[in-house]
Amino acid sequence: MKTVYQCSNTVTGIFSAIYDGWKERRDEEWGIKIKEDGELELFSTYVEVEENNRKVLAVESMIKRHLGYAAYWDIYHAALSFDYSKGNAIAETILEARKLKDSKKIMEHLSNPSVLKVFALSRNVGGEAHNLTGFVRFKELQSQILYGEITPKNQVLTCLAPHFADRLPVENWMIYDKSHHMLVVHEAKKQWVLVSDEELKIEKTLQFSEKEEEFSRMWQGFCKSISIASRENRRCQMNHLPLRYRGNMTEFVLS
Amino acid sequence: MSVRIQEEKSLYDKLNILSDAAKYDVACTSSGVDRKNDGTGIGNCQAAGICHSFSADGRCISLLKILFTNECVYDCKYCYNRRSNDIERTAFTPDEVCSLTMEFYRRNYIEGLFLSSGVMRSPDYTMELIYATLHKLRTVHNFQGYIHVKAIPGASQEWVTKLGFLADRMSVNLELPTAEGLRALAPHKSRESILKPMRLVQNQRSQNGYELVTYKNTPKFVPAGQSTQMIIGATPESDYQIVKVAESLYQKFELKRVFYSAFIHVNEDKALPAKTGEGPPLLREHRLYQADWLLRYYRFRADEILNEKSPNFNVLFDPKCNWALKNLEYFPVEINAAKYEVLLRVPGIGYTSATRIVKARRLGTLDFNDLKKMGVVLKRALYFITCSGRMMYKTKLEEDYIARNMLDHKERLPAGVDGMTYQQMSLFDDVRFGGGSFENRISMQ
Repeated sequence: MKTVYQCSNTVTGIFSAIYDGWKERRDEEWGIKIKEDGELELFSTYVEVEENNRKVLAVESMIKRHLGYAAYWDIYHAALSFDYSKGNAIAETILEARKLKDSKKIMEHLSNPSVLKVFALSRNVGGEAHNLTGFVRFKELQSQILYGEITPKNQVLTCLAPHFADRLPVENWMIYDKSHHMLVVHEAKKQWVLVSDEELKIEKTLQFSEKEEEFSRMWQGFCKSISIASRENRRCQMNHLPLRYRGNMTEFVLS
Repeated sequence: MSVRIQEEKSLYDKLNILSDAAKYDVACTSSGVDRKNDGTGIGNCQAAGICHSFSADGRCISLLKILFTNECVYDCKYCYNRRSNDIERTAFTPDEVCSLTMEFYRRNYIEGLFLSSGVMRSPDYTMELIYATLHKLRTVHNFQGYIHVKAIPGASQEWVTKLGFLADRMSVNLELPTAEGLRALAPHKSRESILKPMRLVQNQRSQNGYELVTYKNTPKFVPAGQSTQMIIGATPESDYQIVKVAESLYQKFELKRVFYSAFIHVNEDKALPAKTGEGPPLLREHRLYQADWLLRYYRFRADEILNEKSPNFNVLFDPKCNWALKNLEYFPVEINAAKYEVLLRVPGIGYTSATRIVKARRLGTLDFNDLKKMGVVLKRALYFITCSGRMMYKTKLEEDYIARNMLDHKERLPAGVDGMTYQQMSLFDDVRFGGGSFENRISMQ
C-alpha cells in the first residue's frame, strides 16, 4: 500500500516529509500531501509528519551536495508554489536524479514529467517574485518605517526579502503578505526576519507620514503624464501588469 | 535680458511638465549592470533590469524619466520642446531632482533616474547642470541605483567624460536614420556632432576596460554601455536602410541597444510628413524591434532579413518567419540533432527554448509534447521541424501552403494589420521612389 506523508504548506513541512519518506521507504511507493489539500487517494495510508529544522537542514544539504545549487534553487522555489502537487513533484524529481549518471544535470531532464513540473513551478514562483520586486509599493509611516503590502499567489516573501535588504540596508521596512498572513521585517543595518501574523492584524494600526500623500500624488501624476495618448494600448499594459497586482499599487489606487 | 512675469511653480507642476516633455524618449530600461549595495546608502542594480510599472500605452516605467529643463535653444522640427513652440517652460534645480529620485526610490516606485534635457543657453551649460545633479545624487545622497543620462549633442569632450563616471548608461540620440534626414529636420544638429560623443564614449569604455584589468578599484565608465534612438517614419528611409544603420551601430560603435520610435505628430511643419489620421506607425516599429532582436540574439545579418529588392518588412509575418518562408531549403530541421545555430533560425523557437532543447536532448529523445512544455510555439514551428524523423502532421514544405496555414490560425495579428484589408491606390505607393541604391552612411572621418 502507498504511504502518503501529510505536512504543512511550508518549505519546512515539505522538506521534513521528504526526509521521512527518504529515510523510511526509499524504494517503495510513497507520496506527499499538503494538509490544506482536500483531495484524498484510495488505497493509501496517511502519516502525519513531525516537522523540524534538523530534517530541513539534512534535506537541504543533501540536495545541494548531490543535485547542485542550481537544482536546489528550483526545488526551493517550487516548494513555495500555490500548487498542492508540488510535494510529489519535488520528491519524484529527487528520486529520478538517482537514476542519472550525473545527478547535477537533473534539471535539464525536462522530458521527465516531475522534473518538468518542478521546473514550471519554479518559473512561476520566480516570475511572480521578480514581478513583485518591481511592483511592491512602500508607504512611509509616521515612524519613518516603509510599509508595503502584497497579495501574491505563491509564498514569495523569502524571495523578496534578500533583494530589498540589499537595496535598502539603511532603512527600516516591512512587507506584509496579505494572502498568507506573513510579514518580513527589516531593521536598518540588521538581518531581516520572517514573522507570522495570524493575530497581529497590522493593517488596522497604520498611520502614514505627512509627506506620504505629497509623494504618492506626484507619482500618480507622473504615471499619467509619461504615457503617450496616441499610443494608448490597455491590452499591452494588462499583459505586463495584470490587474491582480494593481490593488496594492499607489498609481492605480484612487486616493 | 527680458523680465519674466511668472509665478514660481510647485514641484508637482514641474514634475508634470518635465515628465510630459520627456515621454517621447524611448529607452526606459534599467538593465546591464549588476551592483550590490555597499551597506551605507540606498540602491543597487540588477543586470536583468526591473520594471516597476506600466503606463497606459503599455510601455514599461522603470526609471524616473524627466527632462532637467524643457527650455531649448534648438529648433528640431519633430520635437515638442523646440524653440518655436509656445509651451510652458520650466526647469528643476539639482536639489529637486535629488529629492524626487531618493523619495521615489525609497518607496520602490522606480529603479533609478533617466535624466535628459533641453539645451539651456548652450550644450556645455546644460551638461554642467546635469553633472551637478548627478554628482550630488551620487556623493551627498549616496545613491547607488541606476542612472541613465543623455549626452547633449555639441557638448565638449570634458563634460561627456566626467558625466560618464557617474552614470550607468549614457546615450546620444541619433534622431534620424540618415544624415540627410537630420539636415532637413534638425537644423542645429549634425551627424558629426552626434557620432563624435558616441565614439568618445566607446573609446573611453574600452580604455576603462583595460584599466579595470590592472586596477580593480578604478571607477567604472558607463558600465551599462551606451544606447541610441531614432525616429521612424518622419523621413522616407526604407526598413532595409534602417536595419543596416542599426547593424553598423552595433558593429562599429558597440552600442548595447538601438531604440526605434514611431514618429508621432506633435508639431505642424511643412518639412514633416502630412498628418494622416492613422496614428504613429506602430507595426513598423514592432517589426524593427523584431529585426533588432534577430541581429543581436539570433545571429542574423541585416542582408538576410531584408535586401534591396524587398526593402520593407512583411506586414503579416515577423522577419524570422519571413526569412524561413523564403529559405525553405534549410528545412525541415531535426530537433534531436540540429546545431544550436540552426535551431535558432526556426520560427517558434527562441534562444531560451533552443538552449533548453540542446541540454534536454542529451538526457533523452524529445518529441513534440516535450517541446510544447519547454515553451516552443508549435503552431509556428511545426512546419519546419521533425522529431526523430517525423513531422507533427502531414504538411507540405511549400511557401504558399505554409503561409496560408499560418494565417488561417486567426492569430491575433499585431495592431496595424487589421486596417489594411482595402487601400486606396496611390501614385506614391512604391516606397522605392527615392532611388535605388544608397550607401551606408554611419561612418566617421
